[in-house]
Amino acid sequence: MPGANRDVREVIREEAVWRPRILAALSSGPMTVPESAAAINAPVHEVVFWVFGMRRYGWLAELKESEDGGYFRYEPTGRVS
Amino acid sequence: MTDMTDMAVARDAAPTSLDYDVLVVGAGIGGMESALKLGDMGYKVLLVEKEASVGGKMILLSKVFPTLDCASCISTPKMASTIHHANITPWTYSQVDKIRRAADGTFTATVTQKARYVDIDSCTGCQKCEMACTVAVPDQFNADLVARRAAHLTFPQAVPKKAVIDRGGSSPCSFACPAGIQAHGYVSLIRSGLDEEAFRLVLDATPLVGTLGRACYAPCEGECTRGSLEGTLPIRRLKRFASDKHDASGNDNGLARPESNGKRVAVVGSGPTGLTAAFQLAKLGYGVKVFEAAPVAGGFLRLGIPSYRLPEAVVERDIENVTGLGVEIAVNSMVSDPAALKADGFDAVLVATGTHRDSGLGVPGEDRLGVMGATAFLRKIKLGQPVDVKGKRVVVVGGGNVAMDSARVARRLGAASVTVAYRRSREEMPAHHVESVDAEKEGVEFRLLLAPAEILGNAQGGVAGLRCTEMRLGAPDASGRKSVEPVPGSSVTIDADVVIAAIGMAPDTSMFGGRVPVEKNGRLSSNKATCQTGVEHVFAAGDAVNGPTDITRAVGEGRKAAHQIDAWLNGREFDNWDDRLPVVDKQAVLARQKAFTLSAPTPDGMQLEPAPTDFHEIEAPLTEAEARRSSGRCIDCAVCSECGECVAACPVDGCIDLRSTAKTSDLKVGAVVVSTGFKLFPADLKPQYGFGKYQNVITAMQMDRLLAPTRPFNTVLRPGDGKVPDRIAYVLCTGSRDKQVDNPLCSRFCCMYSIKQNQLIMGALPLADVTVHYMDIRAPGKRYDEFYEQAKAMGANYVKGRVADITEKPDGNLLLKFEDIENGGAITEAEYDLVVLAVGVQPNRDAEELFEVGELQLDEWHYVNEPEEDMNPGQTNIPGVYVAGAASGAKDIADSIVHAGAAAAQVAAHLERTRPALPKIEMVPA
Repeated sequence: MPGANRDVREVIREEAVWRPRILAALSSGPMTVPESAAAINAPVHEVVFWVFGMRRYGWLAELKESEDGGYFRYEPTGRVS
Repeated sequence: MTDMTDMAVARDAAPTSLDYDVLVVGAGIGGMESALKLGDMGYKVLLVEKEASVGGKMILLSKVFPTLDCASCISTPKMASTIHHANITPWTYSQVDKIRRAADGTFTATVTQKARYVDIDSCTGCQKCEMACTVAVPDQFNADLVARRAAHLTFPQAVPKKAVIDRGGSSPCSFACPAGIQAHGYVSLIRSGLDEEAFRLVLDATPLVGTLGRACYAPCEGECTRGSLEGTLPIRRLKRFASDKHDASGNDNGLARPESNGKRVAVVGSGPTGLTAAFQLAKLGYGVKVFEAAPVAGGFLRLGIPSYRLPEAVVERDIENVTGLGVEIAVNSMVSDPAALKADGFDAVLVATGTHRDSGLGVPGEDRLGVMGATAFLRKIKLGQPVDVKGKRVVVVGGGNVAMDSARVARRLGAASVTVAYRRSREEMPAHHVESVDAEKEGVEFRLLLAPAEILGNAQGGVAGLRCTEMRLGAPDASGRKSVEPVPGSSVTIDADVVIAAIGMAPDTSMFGGRVPVEKNGRLSSNKATCQTGVEHVFAAGDAVNGPTDITRAVGEGRKAAHQIDAWLNGREFDNWDDRLPVVDKQAVLARQKAFTLSAPTPDGMQLEPAPTDFHEIEAPLTEAEARRSSGRCIDCAVCSECGECVAACPVDGCIDLRSTAKTSDLKVGAVVVSTGFKLFPADLKPQYGFGKYQNVITAMQMDRLLAPTRPFNTVLRPGDGKVPDRIAYVLCTGSRDKQVDNPLCSRFCCMYSIKQNQLIMGALPLADVTVHYMDIRAPGKRYDEFYEQAKAMGANYVKGRVADITEKPDGNLLLKFEDIENGGAITEAEYDLVVLAVGVQPNRDAEELFEVGELQLDEWHYVNEPEEDMNPGQTNIPGVYVAGAASGAKDIADSIVHAGAAAAQVAAHLERTRPALPKIEMVPA
């Protein structure tokens, strides 16, 4: 997990750029944040910002009772634009 | 809390000219309490809050101690009572700029109501604007744990529940566009994958989307803030990307023919000015007919710009955006008397005929065969007319963009050699630098500091060469360019078969025969602001008026002309078409971030050959990946990008107005309550704890947000990887009782909020272990110590001793090194999933900025001073100015409310003392 921290503003600004890649990764099934990060080859702590930004604005939702080793799984809601 | 909201007590107007009895600065829990108490007493209160909602920090908390009442549940009724109180005028999203005390003891406050770009009366708080917004920024109300949007509701329980758009002015790229195109807007849309919307945003300004995506000189890029980092965004090419995507999609452009308004406008000239004006007027319902003297429409776009830069098909597609609205374009139709078109049923006429006449060289031999003007040369090529330069030596005289175009066209036509002769040096060349560089890469030779003196002839009456005078540079002239002067006696001859004069262009007004007013310089005469000529119904705009400029300026002229013609035809006053907000300060934009990750600019895409042989387009389009990556480099200078998605999504017409401006007022008040609250200690000032470095070290305010019902995540998760934490540590007194950070004071409520959070965590995560590292627990209030004992009984572990430092393990877990005083003082290490820093409080130095320097006395820790804190709490050193809540020192919620009530009583006493006559109080309906 240790890694260079970019400015939060910079990371959050990129949510829209990473959104299609995250949605594409999740199209094969729900994933945890670390799994999503591995799928799109991005730092886990940055993917947290994008996943929860997307969750806030209705792109993603967590699976209920999906805690897996301490991690929830997230899936697309179907929002397309 | 009384029920005075519905049945307010109002005092008779006192014999003063006060706007308000009291100004309360800050609408946190203290400010609201003071305002409510004073309002209940019948005083007229102006409550000014810098955020877009009242509520302060309390509304952001999960629960309050020791009752564990829901903070939102007990805050929101007070917030609603405050803004609906008959005697309280709440100005949210406003700031007090300055307060001045008058000799009579009253105050004049200068207050600015910031532009929220949303009409507070018609906004329903539906958040559709927020869902549609394309700009993501950290949400300060969620302690930067998650993104919000530029258009947003401050927080779900905001009061008033009205959206606000975070907008700092105009972004430099958008501000720089003479055509008024929202460059930041379409970049932001492309970043979000909304390519068609990006196309339509540009289309809103001009029909020439594909054209500008290729042939614009992109002043936006010259102003891009990213340019001061590692390089500008390819803003123009992004526009082309959106245009190409639209063309490839087969979508219609979304524009329906509007209902006719019964009026007709004639446009003379079909260049960028004429086409844009026609397009804008047609959208407004005018019947528009364009008259074009040439056999094709498009003006210089179609007759001047070489197709390797701007293919004809692109211009023709753009023109379809105009004709699709019902605009008729008549080619081969020269108009010699624009004013006379009124007799043909046109209510107004726009003359936008451009600059199609070449300036002559004015040297002997100019009439020889093989000498031609650049615009005539380019026009012939574009119209497919024969021009014989193959195998010939071509000399282009001039250093502008048209000279570069001519030289590069001659290369493509097979000239044996192409030489540009220019009388100054490369630095003074008016052509865009990239154009001259690209010309050179295509084999064009440059001969500098040579001025034409004579065109030498051959026996057949043709050209044999260009004799030039050598020049040398002198001091800068009025335009800033270095002056030139001939080198006496010098003479240089360049062998040539063809000479192309590209030293200037001018309007050709000969066809008007004086029927349209013309300036001495040969340009059409019209008012620069209104475009109206001396003939009332005839307008003129674009290069024909201004001289040769560029496409974006010409487009901007077309928009302005359409706007003013519409105003004139509807009997409105002419106004300022340019309603841009002031441009944001680039340095301030850069200062918003501690650091920028450099991101290499996309390569320019030029595919140049040293000896080009055809006119295929030389610039490659951006790939989809390049477009996303490039647009992702945008740093959202003005925050709001003006992409317009919020306006489109808003269900209330006119609710969002991105051109709103701030309003500043001077108000006379009888007393002031300073209730500016406190600030939290910046935890990164304790670097040994790793905040800002280790993702799983957070502050207690962040934990309160994670515990709140409106939390940023679906439950309490650690920000480093979204894991549910099992072992959580608290570090108390972070930045308080700490001389190392110059804050010896206890923050009074950190122990208690930590204990509260301990209990809430154990409720939310029953399997979690909570350990608190403390110096000593301060729980002196009513039921506070019992609250502490309750936490211990629930299983929270309290370890006495300072934490020395925190380090991070590869899995993101954290190792705390601490002193365990109760077990012999051993230095011990423990591992946790998540560490919470219970940060202390700091004074909010905003308070002192309200008054002249030094006027409002502060204590030694920079809180607002109360000279008689024990006997007269709330009084400051300034008669008539009072302090409420934590602005005078750390207080918990209950103490803040008590203190704010005391301040209100002090204010009432002051007002009664200073009023000339005590008015009668009577109950009146709210």
